[in-house]
Amino acid sequence: MSESIALINTSGPFGSTEIKDSIDIAMIMGSYEQDVHLYFIGDGVYQLVANQHPELLKVKDVFKTFAAFEFYDIEHLYVCEESLQARGLTEIFHVEGVQVLSKSALKESIHQHKTCLRF
Amino acid sequence: MKFALMVTTKPTDPKTVTAINIANSIVAQDHELLGVFFYQEGVLNASEYLCIPNDEYQATRKWIMFTQSTTVPLHLCSTAAEKHGLIEETEQEDFEHVSPAFQVSGLGQLVELSSQADKVIKL
Repeated sequence: MSESIALINTSGPFGSTEIKDSIDIAMIMGSYEQDVHLYFIGDGVYQLVANQHPELLKVKDVFKTFAAFEFYDIEHLYVCEESLQARGLTEIFHVEGVQVLSKSALKESIHQHKTCLRF
Repeated sequence: MKFALMVTTKPTDPKTVTAINIANSIVAQDHELLGVFFYQEGVLNASEYLCIPNDEYQATRKWIMFTQSTTVPLHLCSTAAEKHGLIEETEQEDFEHVSPAFQVSGLGQLVELSSQADKVIKL
């Protein structure tokens, strides 16, 4: 089993602070050169939708942080195909390099990690 | 087996009770608990000034008893503690409204715990 860590994001971006708390861990893991993988499943897929306007809700723009992923060597992002379809969302994301995976492929991928944290 | 426990729930949350039960069970069954990491609302467990009625579950007291009897460290995420008003930095002085049984640490501590532990349990 590899020493990698999976952060499984299942919450929408504005109803809680889960997105920020998960991304903070991703960046720390990245800066400590840990092999971190981000999954977006269920309502978590809304975290990737392009052209959102957090300023309307007067919350901090967490989407800007995603742009720094490359700098932190966070390269593995996966989104659930079925979750996108169920919500009528297209595969247009505000970050690059997101892999769209089927439920069964996701399951297999998640099983590879030593640690999984769900947010 | 080596465990690490991550607590993200506030002291009044039933999941906090479960977390304390898990922590005690790990130690009772001769496994090693490397540390407990308090994140998100979990940092409120360390508040020095929280007074919960006597007939309610005394989470903070239970954590203090746990760390005193087992020496398992209780780590508090400093960023989360600041966000939840437990640490205050002013120009003159820094204040910590944190019970002395807890150690204020950074997220780097979580990286260390998760890389050393065989299993991480997050509640």
